[in-house]
Amino acid sequence: MNHKMKKVATGVIASLLALSLAACGSNSNSPAGTASNGGSSSGSKVTLELAISKSSQDSAFVAQDLLDAFEKETNIKVNLQLLPAEQTATVLQTKLAVDETPDIIQYNLASAVTDLNLERNFEILDSEPWVSRLLNKDVLSANDHVYSFHVSQDTGMQGVVYNKDMFKELNLSIPTTFEEFLAVCEAIKASGVTPVFMPFKDNWAANIWPAAAFADYAAKNDPTLFDELNSNKKKWTDIPEFANLLDQQYQVFKKGYTNPDILSDSYDMAVGKFLDKEVAMMFMGDWLIENVAEKDPSIHLGLFAIPSSKDASLGASPLGGQLFIPKKAKHMAEAKKFLEFIASKEQAQKIVDSQGYVSNFNDVTTPKLPDYKQEIVDNYITPKKTVLTTDAHMLVDRSELYRNLQDQFAGAKTPEEVLSAWNDKFAQLMKDKGVAGF
Amino acid sequence: MKTKSLYPYYLIWPALFVYCVFFVLPALIGLFYSFTDWRLDRETLKFIGWDNFKQIFSDKTLVLALKNTFIFAIVTVIGKNVLGIALAIGLNMRLKSKNLLRAIFYSPSILSVLVISIVFTPMLRTDGTINKFLEAIGLGVFGQSWLTDPSIVIWTVALVSIWQHTGFQMAIYLAGLQSISKEYYEAATIDGAGAWSTFSKITLPLLLPAININLMLTLIGGLKVFSEVFVLTGGGPGNASQVVGTIILRAFGEGSWGMGTAINTLLFAAVTVISIPLLIFMRRKEVAE
Repeated sequence: MNHKMKKVATGVIASLLALSLAACGSNSNSPAGTASNGGSSSGSKVTLELAISKSSQDSAFVAQDLLDAFEKETNIKVNLQLLPAEQTATVLQTKLAVDETPDIIQYNLASAVTDLNLERNFEILDSEPWVSRLLNKDVLSANDHVYSFHVSQDTGMQGVVYNKDMFKELNLSIPTTFEEFLAVCEAIKASGVTPVFMPFKDNWAANIWPAAAFADYAAKNDPTLFDELNSNKKKWTDIPEFANLLDQQYQVFKKGYTNPDILSDSYDMAVGKFLDKEVAMMFMGDWLIENVAEKDPSIHLGLFAIPSSKDASLGASPLGGQLFIPKKAKHMAEAKKFLEFIASKEQAQKIVDSQGYVSNFNDVTTPKLPDYKQEIVDNYITPKKTVLTTDAHMLVDRSELYRNLQDQFAGAKTPEEVLSAWNDKFAQLMKDKGVAGF
Repeated sequence: MKTKSLYPYYLIWPALFVYCVFFVLPALIGLFYSFTDWRLDRETLKFIGWDNFKQIFSDKTLVLALKNTFIFAIVTVIGKNVLGIALAIGLNMRLKSKNLLRAIFYSPSILSVLVISIVFTPMLRTDGTINKFLEAIGLGVFGQSWLTDPSIVIWTVALVSIWQHTGFQMAIYLAGLQSISKEYYEAATIDGAGAWSTFSKITLPLLLPAININLMLTLIGGLKVFSEVFVLTGGGPGNASQVVGTIILRAFGEGSWGMGTAINTLLFAAVTVISIPLLIFMRRKEVAE
């Protein structure tokens, strides 16, 4: 390195250091000095920290015009902390553990129970003014207390996403048994289209079928099954039908009705596969339909129940994307004000309209739903043919089950071995958690 | 010459302070936590002695992860060093393109491992470039489900890592080779030594300092492997390519923080127990020029 080079390099490094110092400086002087409660009356401007997963950055609660309107009305600024999608849980766990808490967190209620220690970390919102206007308190509650906020009560549905145009073209009707489903696959395959897309590089995608099928089985044959599993009165290996249900999904793959390299294909390819009309069906949630419609409204997708048994129920996942206020929020009063603001009739109506939500407030009207959603309401919700998926009943992290399912498709585990491996892990996690009976 | 007073010892205090606060202290705290039942959903933590460590060895996945870690470490140590020496010797000759070639071989090691995964994941698919290439040259029988066959996936990850880092090892070996005096080779030529005896009697012994540093770097890096596995397979399919590094992440993800730190402590102990004796042993073998 000659002398001139050295000078340049030193200059670059020095300026980088200066930059990083400046960045630190501007970060640290934002919320620390401001009043901790009492809010904007003190005159100094409060900045709320709202932590949200990067994968949820399109959430209506963090839309810039909403935040701007809030700031204009209350003089409270909302600063977004975008967390990396795969590490959202870990980062939030750490923030909560070291008391570096954001003022508001967006998360899924069901996962907050298993991942974030809901009761210890989050404020009970029972006495907030908007609670009395709620139509469905349950989707925001755990242990009989309202812990979270949302303007929608529209729980996501999980089943078989299918291309209605292809079904019409091939003159196929919605299968109501597993045998009918295989026949539908055969007909689609004969037409040159891949019947089912399995993106099992993302192991959670392998869980959609069993999560709905197990719950459907339990609802029909053994309504207390999940309570018994959660109290160690039954083991996962005690239910022979579970192995059959796992084997069904494997048969769909074995019979050649899927993309060939299922363990290399990932979920982010799904929208493209439907847009290109390469595939006809996929075991997934109805959010996929919305994502495809955003890109190309001319493709008509619908959802039917996982055909694991005769006239199976449609899997319903618990409502997700709620807002929470940590107990240790630095600006509790302002955070509550933010929820109040979104809950106001005007703002809530705006969000419900733009997102096509089923409203959860008695004075906010539900807009006309998209076709597929109206069909779900007519075919499944109104006749009460839905069932909460297995995941909604679980108290511990399920990723080991997903990995075991992936193992099944790598040919390394039989359905029985999947259940037995998961049973061991489940028992250990429940024991570590301190659940009675384990 | 008054070497003693060149720099006063108190100048190490700032660095030592930073090192203690950001490394020694967390390591000690981690050691403490690894003997507790620290969990996401516990208000208090309890001292539980060796329970975490007993559980590590009774969990099949953790044993598999240990096995995978050692496979990865051994394969990459051999691959990176053998190929690194070969490349260094090749590129130490009088070639017109040697600077260009050195740059090319070195370049993968400056890429982010994420970029590597984006490039290699499609290539390693069952219908990917590598299998297509094998088919095209008539070696289709060697085609593999590189990243999805549980029995070979850890080997694939090791190969990708060798591809990426050999150039870095090569650079250290090149520096080592260039510090060997030409006179030895001249003397050997006069004595009528062949290529192999020149290599084994002159190059290899005088290259030992470089070999030592590279062995240590690759071995410690291999035992601490995380990013290659994380971006290429995420430990999958299933748990087939889990290594200790990814298992630690899994334990933290499950909320078993005490367990996570216990595995971390075990990894730290393993790296220390393996690398320090090896370092001492290799140092003894070094010869003075």
